[in-house]
Amino acid sequence: MSHPSLSRRILFGLLAAPALLPGRGSAETLPEVTSIPDSLKGSGEIRVATFGGTMQEVQKRAYFEPFEKLSGIRVRDFAGSDITKIKAMVETGNVEWDLAQVSRGSVMNLQKRGDYFEKIDYDIIDAGVPAAFRFEYGLEMLVWAQVLAYRTDAFRGAVPKGWADFWDTKKFPGDRALLGAGSGNQPELEFALMAAGVPPEQVYPMDLDKAFASYTKIKRDVVKWWETGAVPVQLLTDREVVMTSVWNGRMAALQQAGVPAAVSWSQGLLKRDCWAIPKGSRNRAQAMKFIAYSTMAIPQARLSMLIPYGSVNDGANEYLSPARQEVLPSAPAIRSQLLTYNYDWWVENRDAVTARFNRWLLT
Amino acid sequence: MSEAIAPALLAPGRTAGMNWRRLVPLLLVAPLVLFMLALYALPVLAMLSRSLLEPAPTLAHYAELAGDEVFHRIFTNTLWTTLVVTAGTLVLGYPVAMGLARARTLLPLLLIIVLLPFWTSVLVRSYAWMVLLGRHGLVNEALLAMGMLDRPLRILNTPLAVHIAMVHILLPYMILPIANALRQIDPSLARAAAGLGAGPWAVFRQVTLPLSMPGVMAGILLVFVLSLGFYITPALVGGPRDMTLSMLIAQRVEQLDWAYAATLSAVLLATALVIIAIFQRAFGVGTAFRMSAR
Repeated sequence: MSHPSLSRRILFGLLAAPALLPGRGSAETLPEVTSIPDSLKGSGEIRVATFGGTMQEVQKRAYFEPFEKLSGIRVRDFAGSDITKIKAMVETGNVEWDLAQVSRGSVMNLQKRGDYFEKIDYDIIDAGVPAAFRFEYGLEMLVWAQVLAYRTDAFRGAVPKGWADFWDTKKFPGDRALLGAGSGNQPELEFALMAAGVPPEQVYPMDLDKAFASYTKIKRDVVKWWETGAVPVQLLTDREVVMTSVWNGRMAALQQAGVPAAVSWSQGLLKRDCWAIPKGSRNRAQAMKFIAYSTMAIPQARLSMLIPYGSVNDGANEYLSPARQEVLPSAPAIRSQLLTYNYDWWVENRDAVTARFNRWLLT
Repeated sequence: MSEAIAPALLAPGRTAGMNWRRLVPLLLVAPLVLFMLALYALPVLAMLSRSLLEPAPTLAHYAELAGDEVFHRIFTNTLWTTLVVTAGTLVLGYPVAMGLARARTLLPLLLIIVLLPFWTSVLVRSYAWMVLLGRHGLVNEALLAMGMLDRPLRILNTPLAVHIAMVHILLPYMILPIANALRQIDPSLARAAAGLGAGPWAVFRQVTLPLSMPGVMAGILLVFVLSLGFYITPALVGGPRDMTLSMLIAQRVEQLDWAYAATLSAVLLATALVIIAIFQRAFGVGTAFRMSAR
């Protein structure tokens, strides 16, 4: 079939004037896709599992509603995407989701144990999605960051930059929180290593002894090893901690609520979510069309305008105002400060790290 | 009521020609039993069998568990939390149950107050405790304002916060069976004891308390077994080391190591069953439920 080298400019009308959009409150003037190629049209439905919450609301407006109108394929969305459910669905032959938002690490972990996902059909994927986001069983579609956040009223104007400052309890006194090993999370060994002076480009492959030795230095000051994104934000709001790691999208709501807190992008982790199709999905072809649609420039830009997560399509930035780009982890100025999370390393080492982390924490 | 049926169930077939009567209750419970077997017992057994059958028939997972230092630590912590929470709900719940048992016009209001937490999600209540127990939360601010503290206490993110939040969440399970048992007690018994010269304390110790024991036992059993499986509350308000057995199970499920998760679950289930068996032996919990079910 034809290669997707047709320019997006030919396919999509540029009705909105996105370059002029303000960063916030821009919801009214989202850019619109006016037509899609026939290869993305169809009938029937797809059942999409997402991570729920605000994310799902935003995906509805950014992806689902326009896609339904343009393609003729109905989208039924479900909250609570979960790799363990996909495992059970595929093993019992009762596949209730045609598409799921997961991390590529999860896809690889499950794929190691058998055949749980369909291959992605790259013939219909937009050329604006770089190879770095394309994988056999999943296409990355959302870029986010795990970063240092702090109370701006805690250090009399001093600004922590990077993990050495996070570890420095003399210069920046107060309790801290970090991500733990619960709920499918991995502890932030990368941060521990950078705190110990390892340059970002030398973090992987990680030296476990060194990372845990670094963790030991801060153990007493970490009052919470969190496992849900809402917790660090709550701890910052309640002044329970002065510094914590956070998922960047959660900080926008906090700052809008007037809490004196800020993000330090420096030495954060750049992570991604991906679309994956559970093996045996009844609506595999339609799901594939949706994946292609949602990773095009305009749908990606719409999402980034509604929630501060970055896009995987190089063409999306031209629809985003400079002010908006300043808060997205995909913006070049921010992305260059972030360390790209190495899913491959983690797939190999996760179980060993989790066991060691539990032992380190509890005994 | 049930007293009349119970002997027939417990001592079946003593009266010749009455056998068909025994079948009636069995037929009545049969749909539920079948339902539970097919949709509950079988899936649970299938899940638990993974601990012995994956990847091939093996005892390796149990051997791993026996030598798993982290598991020992977490198991002890879970049991300790369960004990503290059970004791806490008993101490706080008994007086409330007495109030409930004696209330007349206020009864509906009191019942609503006791039951209200039932209708609120555990997640919401746990977040509420995060707000209340924080270093700048309501509890600390109030104590500071009253001059009882110089500097805020750390309560949130400690075992104490877990105990407080869990006691709050589980209190109704303790209060209701005890209140039920207390309401069964014939008030004339207390009056007779008082008439024979017993003071209020003696009446309580020698009449009310012993007669309410079936309710107390039912409450203890409920709270104990429910506490064993707590996850969300310790995860949200607990400290770095407050890991419970169900958190460990969830971690293994996420790691897709379902065989070990099943092994841990089997241990959790066995612990609950052993506790129920002990109660059955020591206090005859069957009686407790029969009486408090009235």
